[in-house]
Amino acid sequence: MAMAAAPSRPFDYLESLPGTTFYKLYQQPSTALAIFRRMLPDLAKCFVMALLYLKDPLPATDLEAWVKAESLKERDNALSILGRLHILSNTVIADNVRAYKVTDPFASSLRQALTGAEKTQSFGVLSHISDGAAISIAELDEYARRQWEGVLGYMVGTSGLGIQRDVNLSKGVKQLLQAGHLVEIRDRRVEITQDGFAFVLQDVSTQVWHILMLYVESADAIGMSSVEVLSFVFLLSSLELGKSYDKKHLTSNQLRTLTDLADFGIVYQDSPDASHFYPTRLATTLTSDSSALSNPISGSLSGPSGTGLNKGGSGFIIVETNYRLYAYTSSPLQISLIALFTTLKYRFPNLITGKITRQSVRRAIEMGITADQIISYLATHAHPQMRKHNVSRSTSNQAGIPPSVLPPTVTDQIRLWQLERDRVKATPGFLFKDFVSLAEYEAPCRYAEEIGVLVWKSDRKRMFFVTRHEQVAAFLRSRK
Amino acid sequence: MNAVDATEHYETSARDPAPALLTVVLDTNPHAWALLEDSLPLSKAIANILVFLNAHLACNYANEVAVVASHSQKAAWLYPHESPVTKTAQDADGDVSMNGSSTYNNTTEGPGQVNKYRPFRIVEEQVTHNLRELMASTSGPDVKASNSTMMAGALTLALSHINRRSIAWAEAHGADTAAEASGGGPSSGGHTSGTDTAEGLQSRILIISVSGASDSAHQYIPIMNSIFACQRLHIPIDVCKLSGDAVFLQQASDATKGVYMSLTEPRGLLQYLMMAFLPDQRSRRHLVLPTRVDVDFRAACFCHRRVVDIGFVCSICLSIFCEPLENGNCLTCGTNLEMGDYGAKPAVVARKRKKKKRVNGPSGTATPTPTPTPGP
Repeated sequence: MAMAAAPSRPFDYLESLPGTTFYKLYQQPSTALAIFRRMLPDLAKCFVMALLYLKDPLPATDLEAWVKAESLKERDNALSILGRLHILSNTVIADNVRAYKVTDPFASSLRQALTGAEKTQSFGVLSHISDGAAISIAELDEYARRQWEGVLGYMVGTSGLGIQRDVNLSKGVKQLLQAGHLVEIRDRRVEITQDGFAFVLQDVSTQVWHILMLYVESADAIGMSSVEVLSFVFLLSSLELGKSYDKKHLTSNQLRTLTDLADFGIVYQDSPDASHFYPTRLATTLTSDSSALSNPISGSLSGPSGTGLNKGGSGFIIVETNYRLYAYTSSPLQISLIALFTTLKYRFPNLITGKITRQSVRRAIEMGITADQIISYLATHAHPQMRKHNVSRSTSNQAGIPPSVLPPTVTDQIRLWQLERDRVKATPGFLFKDFVSLAEYEAPCRYAEEIGVLVWKSDRKRMFFVTRHEQVAAFLRSRK
Repeated sequence: MNAVDATEHYETSARDPAPALLTVVLDTNPHAWALLEDSLPLSKAIANILVFLNAHLACNYANEVAVVASHSQKAAWLYPHESPVTKTAQDADGDVSMNGSSTYNNTTEGPGQVNKYRPFRIVEEQVTHNLRELMASTSGPDVKASNSTMMAGALTLALSHINRRSIAWAEAHGADTAAEASGGGPSSGGHTSGTDTAEGLQSRILIISVSGASDSAHQYIPIMNSIFACQRLHIPIDVCKLSGDAVFLQQASDATKGVYMSLTEPRGLLQYLMMAFLPDQRSRRHLVLPTRVDVDFRAACFCHRRVVDIGFVCSICLSIFCEPLENGNCLTCGTNLEMGDYGAKPAVVARKRKKKKRVNGPSGTATPTPTPTPGP
């Protein structure tokens, strides 16, 4: 459950934006496409596409009849997300029938994205340069890897391990990491924060989004419109890897963003004054799910660079049921990450071994790393051999249980070690209480459960606790 | 959150749902499209289908499409169309997501072109270009020679493409092909639920059909074989029927749990496609999908390729024949079959039950008691 929440965390910022911002954002076809692709659950995508080319709003009863009765929860969850992102709106057609339609700037932009539009440069303009001067995909990957590893290395402090990185991070990058509370400067030394630990243990795609959202949030402070930056980010996500794009159609703010993003390895340009730029894989896979990205980049990010070892897949970590851990890597960054929660034993040129112990996990948890972060890190970087093993095992005997790449004993034990310390979990939210009758209490409570915001309830006390109150409040109003 | 329950292992896989491969088999039979000219000309249908393909690509970054044309005398690839030169390059670098796109040079992309997401543009340009070429290569005599469509060949092309892509995908993502192998193995009947949820490329086939049933009867056996292959590999075949009503395609979608729709209003093709055919297997679990209740299960006979209601079945190899065989030898397996007294008038045997009843019921009651027990 924690994994489901983690990748969408950067988008909480988006959801908090006011409707007018969405109105401006959705003017761009690339933005509509990126949001459609990255932020909607499957069912919501079906709804949007089904409604996109309908002339009239679809009556709510028709939409409800389309979904199977046992999938009520998924349906309400999809509708709730679509509502929060201002994609679907409720209207009333004749005879007081409630109906849904796709809101306008989004609908027309998505239609433009699908069919092509005349004048916009929403999907970038290719620049025409000779093949000899072009940068190859391998070079772009290498550049992205170096820059991104440099950023992570700066945060974890790999220089303390005696390895000097050859990447020069600009002042803007460092400021951004500080502003995002990922690192703190104490006594002129960089110290990683709890959020920072959470950050470095995520997969690359989530990290990139996190950084981009931080950048967008800070855009207003340095005099740029966050809407403009955001739509430029979405534009970048729709570009193609290995192609160069013209810069002359970009506004000055977009050019400034471009230079900043080049420091992170998200785009590449020969020099800040070059006439064209290349998106790297970090940019072009922004709207993909993490799996599509994990192979080329994090594979090269994590594994020893320059060897053919990672050709088959991304992972390099093997965890055995006896808590032993083997990691085929020589990257100081990955080694220092693994060392956060493992007692390391031996180090070979391309392999380190260690053991996950109670002490090592507790030490990590005391530093603010959670069990879920450790487990998701291990799962993200699991060696192909473990996935293979997992596939053959899961088809044979564990029919009902979702396959887990890691040995279940290890994941459970890591969680138990965390529970030894963690007995209280805080969830910010809203309490609904003082219902007059049981019936009055039950309906909104059930509704909250269906849209997936319910955290706790007590039938006896007629109270329930939710993470979001807007829709429950609207539900209560609609019943009066 | 208060306790770790050992029975519920958390799904900590960092992977997102597997991408989907949609293979569209487009029936380009010129005869059938000529009949549809008034309501939905081919050009318009293609435009609609292209938007639909884009919508599928838009759903997920790693989603793939493939388009096969089932023409009157051959089946041909519309996308991805691989020329022999680029094919070797592709195999060498093993690139997955760029499939097909690398074959396309960007010379056609002038500055005056409409601005468009590049993957969409590549699909569109290739499909229209290849379709135009296919139509240009169709000569008058070709059209005259046949008025059916090569559905079996197109389905086979689609299946082999799906197979290739799933293997490539599985290799690229570390998972081995055990899932596919066990799903496709002879023991696939038992654990269907297990393989359905297993990660892998989610493939499905959409047939956009315009030709009638009688035309494809001569391909009965290869079509049915492809259908059974799909059934075993858990590949749903969706059928969008624009005109006519093809018998075998109804069976195809029924056997593979696909969607079958016969459009009453072909002009609304896009909306039908978007609503009924866009949801992938994952979403379909939550949706009520249009299927056919009254599936036409008729088969075609092996001797004359006629669609039959009642026929003769070889008891050894289950071949179907529309009329009794001349010398009693099955045409497929050669077994000599006894026809028995086929065709003879059934002799009416006089019932002797009355006598028995009297023996069984010696009590002498006038009304015979209804005996529910079955006779000997």
